[in-house]
Amino acid sequence: MPLINLPAFAPALAEDLAALKAERVDTPVIQPAAPFLDMAGEDLRRRIFLTESETGESLCLRPEFTIPVCIRHIETATGTPKRYAYLGEVFRQRREGSAEFYQAGIEDLGDPDVARADARAVADAVSVLARRLPGRPLAVTLGDQGVFEAVVAACGLPAGWQKRLIHAFGNHAHLARLLEALSDPEKTEVFNPELEKLAIRGLLEDEASLAAHIDATMQATGYSTNASRSPAEIARRLKEKLELESIRLDARTHGLLTEFLGVDVPLADAPAALFAFAERSGLDIAPALSRFDARVAAIRNAGVEPDIVTYRAAFGRPLDYYTGLVFEVTVKGETAVLAGGGRFDRLLTLLGAADRIPAVGFALWLDRIETAINEGRARA
Amino acid sequence: MTVTIGLPSKGRMKEDCSAILARAGLPVVAVGNDRSYRGRVDGREDIEIAFLSASEIAREIAAGTVDFGVTGEDLVREGLAEVDARVEFSARLGFGHADVVVAVPEIWLDVDTMADLADVAADFRARHQRRLTVATKYWRLTQQFFSQRHGIQLYRIVESLGATEGAPASGSADIIVDITSTGSTLTANHLKVLSDGVILRSEACLVRARRKEHDSDPVVAEIVERVRAVV
Repeated sequence: MPLINLPAFAPALAEDLAALKAERVDTPVIQPAAPFLDMAGEDLRRRIFLTESETGESLCLRPEFTIPVCIRHIETATGTPKRYAYLGEVFRQRREGSAEFYQAGIEDLGDPDVARADARAVADAVSVLARRLPGRPLAVTLGDQGVFEAVVAACGLPAGWQKRLIHAFGNHAHLARLLEALSDPEKTEVFNPELEKLAIRGLLEDEASLAAHIDATMQATGYSTNASRSPAEIARRLKEKLELESIRLDARTHGLLTEFLGVDVPLADAPAALFAFAERSGLDIAPALSRFDARVAAIRNAGVEPDIVTYRAAFGRPLDYYTGLVFEVTVKGETAVLAGGGRFDRLLTLLGAADRIPAVGFALWLDRIETAINEGRARA
Repeated sequence: MTVTIGLPSKGRMKEDCSAILARAGLPVVAVGNDRSYRGRVDGREDIEIAFLSASEIAREIAAGTVDFGVTGEDLVREGLAEVDARVEFSARLGFGHADVVVAVPEIWLDVDTMADLADVAADFRARHQRRLTVATKYWRLTQQFFSQRHGIQLYRIVESLGATEGAPASGSADIIVDITSTGSTLTANHLKVLSDGVILRSEACLVRARRKEHDSDPVVAEIVERVRAVV
């Protein structure tokens, strides 16, 4: 059936993607909903179109392609490395624009050369857009969760805090609130009566007896000890939490993290800026910086004009399967994101792949590209 | 224009509503027998009463079939998107108090705050091969509170239409978001409310659908004024 609402440039775009040596795949429009909700969180539920099968299975209209393409890869067990291209309709309620629109993109699975694969994703997105928008200058914003993770680790923060900060990375308001809360000397959590009792009985000293106490209490109150959090898990985290109780984030570290998150420079200048930050702060982030530098070099080698790319240290996505690179492409000076991508090394394992499969990819927003093309025509 | 007020059709809420309206000088009488679903205000041709089931009132206000409704704030905030643009909470009536809260098993000794819960949720998948599950009938309130207020994205809602507080013990969910007035049901089920886990302090409210024609309607203004004067 010919799709008459398909943007006119779609066939040419599909050819461009094929020329980038990616195998074109299709996935059913109707998908099981659970993987999307599991991976992206409950927030997605308001935006996707849910229905139920006759047997009560929760189904949805495909809200994006990455997860179905990855699931398909796992199911067909075709081995890696593998590059997949897709072009099709997705269904998702948005603040602006129709809730049914087209996306295309590439998912690059299993390339062990991280810098090269990252650079290729950026270069592919830019080149595909440049072919649709000749003469329009593009701008790329790039972020790297790996550098943030390295900075946080080098600050010597307790493991529990590192996790919290990394989890909040990409959500500016939440991260700022978290830094404030960790710094606030007034805000120590109360030692509640329940914990007082345990302390008096000496149970907080020893993790094993604490776990045994928790186990006994759960059984006595009719809670299963293996359906949810286990006694050992609760005991371990309680110990960790009590150790953190008296510590606050010191002003110097807070200052350093804030300074780092404020870094916003042309990509060509980013290695020097990060190196200077490391020198000034005395933080040992050398391995992360050398990976960053390798990617910058690879992006240049892949043929992306370095001066169209900006590195923003605070740019990330607060989802736990994103691991390193994130990027977005717009027409320079515009806000509409035409392509968005990133590295998601954890996704395939979360979806059930037996082996760890490094992965990077990008998605193109065809309706926004069409708008940009029309704007370009109107100007000409 | 006749102004329609939607009131709960039975139970304690119905009696409390009638009492407030009587104090406000708007005594409600049933049309026909006591079980009738239509009513009127004694001596007022310009006000109609529609007796509705409590769960329908928010929807009827949103649909514009009634001008006012008396119902719990929780049901209105849960039932309608962009609620403050669509309705006005004209008066808080002082009865039907209930809090919508986040409650976790008491034995989670390490979890007292939403920040603790965020830590647990972030690690949950790695430890248990599934996301943290929340049993609730308050989908919208839970999502708004968890993700917008506390940056918690990674959890799953398990719909629960009754006996929600039993879900953690039975293993059908890890934690709950539910309504509580005294907390005794939570305690009986060995659950505790997080210290910053009160999503909403709800009570019965006089709720008005925001409609243009209300601006110039003296009856609408009079009802709001009369009710506000007695609460």
